[in-house]
Amino acid sequence: MAKGLKARSRSRIQDSLLGYATILPAMLVLIGFFGYPLFYEVYASFTNITVGQSGEWVGLANYRYLVSDSAFTAAALNTVVYVTAAQTGKFALGLAVALLLQQKMIGRNLWRSVVLLPYALPGFVAFMVWRLIYNPDVGSLNIFLDQVGITDQPIAFLSNSSWAMSGVVLATIWKGFPFWTIMFLAALQAIPKELYEAAATDGCNAYQKFKNVSFPGIRPVILIVFMLSTIGTINSFEAVWLTTGGGPGNSTIIVPIYAYKSLVAFQIGQAAAAALLLMPVVLLFVLFILRRLKKV
Amino acid sequence: MVKQKFLSRLGIYSSLIVLLVFVIFPIYYMLTVSFRSQNSMFTNPSWFPVDLELKNYRVAFTSREFLTAMRNSLVIGIVTTSVGLVFSVLAAYSLTILRYRGRDTFGRIIIVAFLTPGALLFIPLAVIAARLNISNTLHGLMIIYLSFIVPLGTYLLLGFFRNLVGELEEAARIDGASRLQALWFILLPLIAPGIAAVGILTFTACWNEYLVALVLNPNPEFRTLPVAVTFLQVADESPIGLIMAYSSIGAIPILILFFIGQRFIVEGLQTGAVKG
Repeated sequence: MAKGLKARSRSRIQDSLLGYATILPAMLVLIGFFGYPLFYEVYASFTNITVGQSGEWVGLANYRYLVSDSAFTAAALNTVVYVTAAQTGKFALGLAVALLLQQKMIGRNLWRSVVLLPYALPGFVAFMVWRLIYNPDVGSLNIFLDQVGITDQPIAFLSNSSWAMSGVVLATIWKGFPFWTIMFLAALQAIPKELYEAAATDGCNAYQKFKNVSFPGIRPVILIVFMLSTIGTINSFEAVWLTTGGGPGNSTIIVPIYAYKSLVAFQIGQAAAAALLLMPVVLLFVLFILRRLKKV
Repeated sequence: MVKQKFLSRLGIYSSLIVLLVFVIFPIYYMLTVSFRSQNSMFTNPSWFPVDLELKNYRVAFTSREFLTAMRNSLVIGIVTTSVGLVFSVLAAYSLTILRYRGRDTFGRIIIVAFLTPGALLFIPLAVIAARLNISNTLHGLMIIYLSFIVPLGTYLLLGFFRNLVGELEEAARIDGASRLQALWFILLPLIAPGIAAVGILTFTACWNEYLVALVLNPNPEFRTLPVAVTFLQVADESPIGLIMAYSSIGAIPILILFFIGQRFIVEGLQTGAVKG
């Protein structure tokens, strides 16, 4: 008995040692290049640090500057518009495509793979291609619109302030909707077939089936997919940088672009403060996802 | 009844066609343009494959700049993925099989790091890299990418480890040093497909990363492929066909990798988000 206990406590110590030893490499990397930078960013946002100089404590000056800077207010507002439009589009298209690819059809598995293409395509490639599609001189969209006779003057979609945001949003939706489709398809496939059969015998039409069987099946997934996808979209630097660069003027500038421009202008404190202003939103979503993951 | 069924079939297939055109067109367009000269783009504007020639690819594969960028991206992707996989497997093993104080906290740190986007941290990373003198080096990007892909890899591997409930218990009952042997000989073979999928995803993440590479490695010697491609884009004079050739060469390996590992990648993403 006593021997057993001793052996067990020894194995528990071994367990702990092995546990710490195996998590250590990951934690060292994260302390050095996640924890420390995060801490440093908070610190930098309260200083007037520039390259090569550690700077002085300036309190809330950087934050005060941001609030008074019209480029930053534009960036904050655009971020809200961009994220809302892109996420609504991804949700609607992602759901519609999932429902479509749930139907019986020839080659269904092949189409399910093909639909993942935009998701698999590297982001820098996707947005360079969309920039070309929108090009006023040689882009396919203008050529097509001209051929069908909708326009007689090419539209510079990305350098026209009334089109630029829609252009970026459409490209973002194209790149991002397959993730939602994958998730919705998984949820739809988890719904027992009997429920659909029961709905059919009750004489439900397609809409009633969707409302009473399919939608309740995907509802639990919507929120988590929304949050995972939104964290990424709030920070989609390359989607905007590679298409419009934030322009024309400030019409498509979003917070990460603003932060990048400040950094390139050596305004490190302001850049840090701008990036950190996204933190509350990200943090809120992260905490929610953490709680959700623990419950399951 | 028959007519109604026909109409619904018609609706399904016509929506499918619209969807496929929307999804495939940009990729088709990238490929066709990559085979066209700058001159042809302007004198013969068309979205059909016209005036195709191999010149852009010949230019790409003889351009020192392009080959350097390819090599940098490959080296960074392979080294970071290999090291990252070792760290991630160890961490996922630690978080699923061993019981010790603080484990849940470590698990939470991994998830928070996984969820935090790089765009939030590129500013301090740039300053720190400058201080450590690792901007414009390959190892600088490697170590920073490691901090992105270890959380990603660990998080995805957690799902694969948790699916091995029986084997995990068995491996947990073994004592001491032989435990690592159990990891190596019992668990790893079972999650090999998972490791392959995670490897593909982490390699892709390194290959595609743009913002940090742009900020840290603007020097032509150390540019990665995304940075090299986007540097070709200079105002109005950008060589359109060549950019699309670079892009196609950059995209095709990733698309092939993705579709090789598709089943496991999709499974991994779904376990991660849907089942928790």
